[in-house]
Amino acid sequence: MSDQGIKSRPTYAPLAPDPSGRHHLLVVEAAEVPAEALAEGISPSAFEVWTVARRSAVPSVPAMEEAPGSVATFRSVTHLFSALEERLARETMGLRLYAAGAEPFLWDVWGRAQKAGLSRQETAFAEAGPKARRVYCVHCRTMSEGITTSIFTCPGCGASLFVRDHFSRRLAAFMAVQVDAEVPGEVPDAEELYA
Amino acid sequence: MTVQFKPAETFRDTFTYKKSPEDLLRFPFPFPEDSYMYSVNIEPHVRGGPTAAFQAQFDVDEHYIAECKERARVLAEDPKRCQVLPHMLTAEWDSLEMIMENLAADYPEHFTLSKDGDAWTWVNRPLGIQQSFIFGKAETLPCGPFEYITRQAQGDFTLQDQREDNLFVDGGMVTTQADWSLEFDIGMSFQEWHGPVPLAHEKGVFDRALKYLLRLQYGQPVRRLNWTMTVNPRLDTSPENYPVWGPDKASVTPENVAEKVHLRVELQTLYRLPRSNAILFGIRCYLTSVADIAKVPKWRRRLHRVLRDLHPDIATYKGIPRYQQMVVDYLAPLDDGSATSPGIAPDIEKIEA
Amino acid sequence: MTAAQPFSVRVREIVELAPSLKRFSFEPVHGGVFPTPPAGGHVLLTLRDGARVMKNAYSLVSPPSERARYDIIVRLVAQSRGGSSYLHRRVAPGDVLEMANPVSLFSLISTAKKHLLIGGGIGITPMLSFLPELKARGARFELHQLATLEEVPVFERLLAPYAAGEEIRVHGGGRAAFDLAGLLSRQPLGTHVYVCGPHSLMDAVASTAAALGWPKTKVHKESFGGDVTGLPFRAVLRKSGIEVEVGESQSLLEAIEAAGVDAPCLCRGGACGQCATPLVEGEAEHRDDFLSAEEKAAGTLIMTCVSRARGPRIVIDL
Repeated sequence: MSDQGIKSRPTYAPLAPDPSGRHHLLVVEAAEVPAEALAEGISPSAFEVWTVARRSAVPSVPAMEEAPGSVATFRSVTHLFSALEERLARETMGLRLYAAGAEPFLWDVWGRAQKAGLSRQETAFAEAGPKARRVYCVHCRTMSEGITTSIFTCPGCGASLFVRDHFSRRLAAFMAVQVDAEVPGEVPDAEELYA
Repeated sequence: MTVQFKPAETFRDTFTYKKSPEDLLRFPFPFPEDSYMYSVNIEPHVRGGPTAAFQAQFDVDEHYIAECKERARVLAEDPKRCQVLPHMLTAEWDSLEMIMENLAADYPEHFTLSKDGDAWTWVNRPLGIQQSFIFGKAETLPCGPFEYITRQAQGDFTLQDQREDNLFVDGGMVTTQADWSLEFDIGMSFQEWHGPVPLAHEKGVFDRALKYLLRLQYGQPVRRLNWTMTVNPRLDTSPENYPVWGPDKASVTPENVAEKVHLRVELQTLYRLPRSNAILFGIRCYLTSVADIAKVPKWRRRLHRVLRDLHPDIATYKGIPRYQQMVVDYLAPLDDGSATSPGIAPDIEKIEA
Repeated sequence: MTAAQPFSVRVREIVELAPSLKRFSFEPVHGGVFPTPPAGGHVLLTLRDGARVMKNAYSLVSPPSERARYDIIVRLVAQSRGGSSYLHRRVAPGDVLEMANPVSLFSLISTAKKHLLIGGGIGITPMLSFLPELKARGARFELHQLATLEEVPVFERLLAPYAAGEEIRVHGGGRAAFDLAGLLSRQPLGTHVYVCGPHSLMDAVASTAAALGWPKTKVHKESFGGDVTGLPFRAVLRKSGIEVEVGESQSLLEAIEAAGVDAPCLCRGGACGQCATPLVEGEAEHRDDFLSAEEKAAGTLIMTCVSRARGPRIVIDL
């Protein structure tokens, strides 16, 4: 059940600076770079690091040096994304963008990177933090955050949904389909996948 | 012979869709031999071959008007069934040109395209359309160029962008699909898009098919046949509407199996487009009931043998286990065990009454 | 099943652009129009000089909207294989030549935020095909054309129709004066670079771009790959009891078909596996994507549509 053999599901690896890149920017969803997000022997100082404090009392970011070892802290993920969009719009070729965090965060970063013209070869992602999934109801288009079970009730349309391993990087979400569409009421027990 | 259109037939609710005997014989039966496994069964899409469905680049049959009406209905209910990412605009014009020129060349009695430089006029007689527009100026058409022309063609279409040694499904008109969602899949790479298909990845089918398609040449389109089964002649078996059509599957009984269960064939065609270097992928759906298949001796023997021996993972992926055995039981007494000729041709000229 | 057939074209016009540069315009012999030329596409011309047959690829320089004629620009090169010299000296308006369907292996990337075009010498030709397409798309681009001093006015004239309001520059000062690293280092994210010209220029662009952190997928070089031609060889068809000569510009499959033998095939591109034929004697030069590395090493199968013999003779079980 936890591996449905579907090849669209992303796989992740710990990060190390891509030697072919010229600038290395790492954005993380937490206040610190999670240790498990970095490859063995790699220190956060190999990157220019952006973090999220999740508190309001973060002083506004001073004019920072855009170089390895510098750290900028943002108040929220939204705050970081707004700065990231501005930064990518004035970047030049040679940038490598790295992200560490939960899966929905990673692909939200990817959406912004792609919009700015970065390709998959210029980005790298490490999964860190909770494994809960963002799930898209294919019937009513409602997104549900933090889904940890194989089957859940859609808050949008009330359907009992089965979460497939089919993953859309554009939506940063897994697909869910009604589990009892053929015989209404025939709903198997939900399995806890990411307790 | 001029085809007699059947504009009133339906693909939902009343399901009045029926095949004429001539239409049955031009069905592109998908099994060239008595067993089935995934393969890269790609061949050049040249006019001619074992079925009349290969006579034109974009096949128009007696269901043309009814299918275009069904498409319009699906789009009215769910406009997201047609989406094209902004960088594919050039591929949209390429597609419009490719489809209009081929329809006009293959069916001059139905379609006419005249050009005066960039000022084009398109006439579609079956649908009663006459449209003048400027090629390359989207604002001169009532909708985007890709949507405009694919509303006037049978079957689904997707647009594949080629970059990073991969193909990305960056646009589509998808209203007659075998259970995949454009809204979910748009933007995916070739492997991601095909992610849910079992066994084929392990056999290297997609890696080989991708390498081949990356080299697909302009002017040398290719085709393949794919198949599944559908209960009732329903074109829109989308995941979006699975709660609507899913219960059909449980409605099959030994008494109604031959009429209800349809072999659903996709004639998939792939065209390299000139300006954009994108690939236009046509996924043309043909539905034929098991009862109609049974009217062709070679086809009924072969369908029986294929379904009887089908790999269970493939059956599950195609969503047929609920009624597979009923179809096999229906066809078994109609299979006299005699040998079948290789290839997909029906081997008969006329359907016996 | 056959691949696209070559068609006959008539030379409509020859214009001398410079002493060593001529533009040839072709029209279909049998009337009608050509297929829409692909942006960055090329055509293969078959040139017959007595017994000698040359197949040369030339970029199409006419815009996609122009289908009554196909234009190519040919530079006379001293050490050419003979094609350019034949075209310059022997071909006249009204002559009929054989042309294969246009092919595109050098394409604009639709997701590019910006297109950086670098041409060297006659490498201007695919750029001339890109320009009307980029203009039609309203795409952001920048073009740098390297030229010898005497070529500068010729190239400026060719580029003039596209130059208004665009960053188009012809550099006549030689490679040393052209700041390639500076150019590549200031390009915005999402830029793709396209280069066509001498190998030294293409290599310089590729290596400079790589050193500046450009991913390979954003660096595009013109190449006429996907070739099934090679040294001639003899194939013995054991079952049929005949031998065929496979010419240098012919595939094994084409030679078998020309001999009237019905050989299995489907895709004719080395992918489907249909034409896999037992190889009884001799060694194959495998060019297909179907056989695994192990199968290729085992040397017991050959894909007749794309692969050839490595040596003068093979025996196949057909």
